[in-house]
Amino acid sequence: MRGPQAPNGSPPGEGDAPALEFAGLYKHFGPNVAVDHIDLRVPRGSFFGLVGPNGAGKTTSLSMAVGLLRPDGGTVRIFGRDVWSDPVAAKALIGVLPDGLALPDRLTGREVLTFLGLLRGMSRAVVGHRADELLRVLELDSADGTVVADYSTGMRKKITLATALLHSPRLLVLDEPFEAVDPVSAATIRVILQRFVAGGGSVIFSSHVMALVEQLCDHVAVLAKGRVEVSGPVAEVSAGRSLEDAFVHIVGARPGGTEGLSWLAS
Amino acid sequence: MAGVLIQMRTAILRRSTQGRRALGGLALVLLVTLLAAGTLWAGLVRYHVAGAGTDVLATLSFGWLLGWVTGPLVTGDDAALRMDYFKLLPVPARRLARAIMGVAFANVSLVFSLIAFASLIAYGARSGPAAALAGVASVLLDLVLAVVASTVAIAVFGPVVSSRRGRDFGTMVLALVITLLSVASGLVPILARRLTNGHSPALSALVRILPSGWGAVAVEAASRSDWGLMALALGGLVLLIAVLLAAWPPLLARRLTMSVRAGGRSAARPAAARTRRPILPPTPLGAVLGKELRLYSRSVLRSLMLMISFLVGVLVCVIPAFSGNTSLLPFAGLLFTTIAAACFTNLYGDDGSSLWLTLVVPGAYRADLRGREWAWFLVVGPAGLLLTVVFTAISGQPRFWPVVLATEPALVLGSAGLLALISVVSVNAPAADGSPSPMRVLKTHVALIAVPAAALFPAVALLVAGGAWHLRWLQWLAVPAGLAWGALLGWWSGRLAQRRLERQAPEIFSRLRAA
Repeated sequence: MRGPQAPNGSPPGEGDAPALEFAGLYKHFGPNVAVDHIDLRVPRGSFFGLVGPNGAGKTTSLSMAVGLLRPDGGTVRIFGRDVWSDPVAAKALIGVLPDGLALPDRLTGREVLTFLGLLRGMSRAVVGHRADELLRVLELDSADGTVVADYSTGMRKKITLATALLHSPRLLVLDEPFEAVDPVSAATIRVILQRFVAGGGSVIFSSHVMALVEQLCDHVAVLAKGRVEVSGPVAEVSAGRSLEDAFVHIVGARPGGTEGLSWLAS
Repeated sequence: MAGVLIQMRTAILRRSTQGRRALGGLALVLLVTLLAAGTLWAGLVRYHVAGAGTDVLATLSFGWLLGWVTGPLVTGDDAALRMDYFKLLPVPARRLARAIMGVAFANVSLVFSLIAFASLIAYGARSGPAAALAGVASVLLDLVLAVVASTVAIAVFGPVVSSRRGRDFGTMVLALVITLLSVASGLVPILARRLTNGHSPALSALVRILPSGWGAVAVEAASRSDWGLMALALGGLVLLIAVLLAAWPPLLARRLTMSVRAGGRSAARPAAARTRRPILPPTPLGAVLGKELRLYSRSVLRSLMLMISFLVGVLVCVIPAFSGNTSLLPFAGLLFTTIAAACFTNLYGDDGSSLWLTLVVPGAYRADLRGREWAWFLVVGPAGLLLTVVFTAISGQPRFWPVVLATEPALVLGSAGLLALISVVSVNAPAADGSPSPMRVLKTHVALIAVPAAALFPAVALLVAGGAWHLRWLQWLAVPAGLAWGALLGWWSGRLAQRRLERQAPEIFSRLRAA
């Protein structure tokens, strides 16, 4: 890792352990190395943005962080608990919003939440109360009789976020939480996440939208080709530029679109 | 414009007829060729009763025209040239209507229909040149009617079948029709006999009055030199085609300007559900059970599989009873349970990537697996037992009691665990269009034999031995033995499945996510 925040060599004790820590995380699919020995720390109470071009390994790393994808090497710790050797303790602490995965789509939003809450061992009363609140705050209560199959993409995103929040986790791991969400809902989600962080929770989310990361996050990591190019407080990473300019500079890309298409404006 | 559309469709069809789909297409071509040849043959054979040939040809024409009209319902719009492609084109609806109609006539299926309808010419030729000519006119008009009616049907049904619910409905209708046809093929000889020996004037009148029968009526009228009736029948066909052609452009315009919605909102009724007192325990197992039971009633794939299991199981055993053979009746429940077990050997694969929910919940594997077993058990078990008891009782064959009581409970208990184990060991993700993959279909067929074989061999061994040595008590001993083995197998295979899920869940999930 070439960033302002070098990883700590020895695993920290549970008391001051970071919310999420990757150490030498590695994953390949056939000949393609998707995640190349990543070290990364998400400090407690931080709002952490994970940015990178398509195919950089964001979804792969986050999947390994929450127990959906087994790493080929390295460890993932959540508040000091290893996700792969102590999954029950680690998974109890996180709420997950994956990108583009199915839900039991013949259930209504409330039924999905009730199913998950009871599966987590919560009491029916608590699940019912929290589901009511979540559906209302996320403005899904008007679609109470609608099965998830008939939800729009944005509504699916919101109900999945509700499943991530239901058990009041300490760390939220969100893959593209703002994609395909309308501006009003996006503002709602932003406020919810900011309240969550203000209340002592930690968030790591991946995004393509630099302005959003710049506005929301206190920490950011830039991933490219399976490696962490840079990681640290947003101000340090952007170093006086806009985060977007810094990102383009860091991943070494050049925006296209200036050549050809001369007939388009005529 | 029609030329451009034909090129476009050829390109799309060429892309989509490669590999496995080409194989399926070949099978379909063979089947349709056989049907067409069969129809032609019906025009060549001699009938003992006057007018019976007309009835048979009118009935067969009805089948062909029905195929043309309901085709769009099954394929969901024109599978290649979707109407939605043309919504944004700045082309007048009338011109587009002419072009699309033109494309519809460039259809290979017309060759098969030509062979089939040619039976009318063959039928007429036997009565002289005039009837043969009437046959030629009928064939041409029937072919035009087929294409025009089919195209108009797309505009009428299109909005319905383009939606997800509509496609679900179409799939359901198709699967049910195929099932019923294959099972009820025992009824075809009865129907054919009624038509050919002229014993059913009502059926005969019905098939002649429908437009599909007018061609056959015209041929018969020509053979009797009844020119008035011939002109009426052929004129009727011309008029019908004209009406459909006139209705086509406005229907197309309506089709292109209306928005296709996902259909009526959900069938779920949460308001009622919330006031109802929950029956299931508020535990992880109860949660999975509740979710699974809802999916059995709401998922199209699941309800379809249940319905097919039920229809095939019952009809295969009941139809022989119409001709006096009641010895299959006691096995209706057993057959239903076997098919229902084989169909649900892909519990995880069929749910797709929604398995992630179980992976992120700590310690949820056991509840997830046992909940799925219990849900299947509760849905299929009571129905299978009831079918077994009721049909054995009405069969009037008490000698089958030990047989069915030794096998049905054992099969239900053993299958509940076995299908969970198979679901975890072999995970077949759905194909890109959401339909079951070929491997999943193969697995179902293997399970049809393997599941009952594993669950029933101790009971069957005792039953066979008891039968061979005429030891009634040995046959009755099969009942507790079957029950014990079924329970043991269900518990043991369920435990194996749970262990494998606990070890392999991320790998199972990765396979589903990749698909």
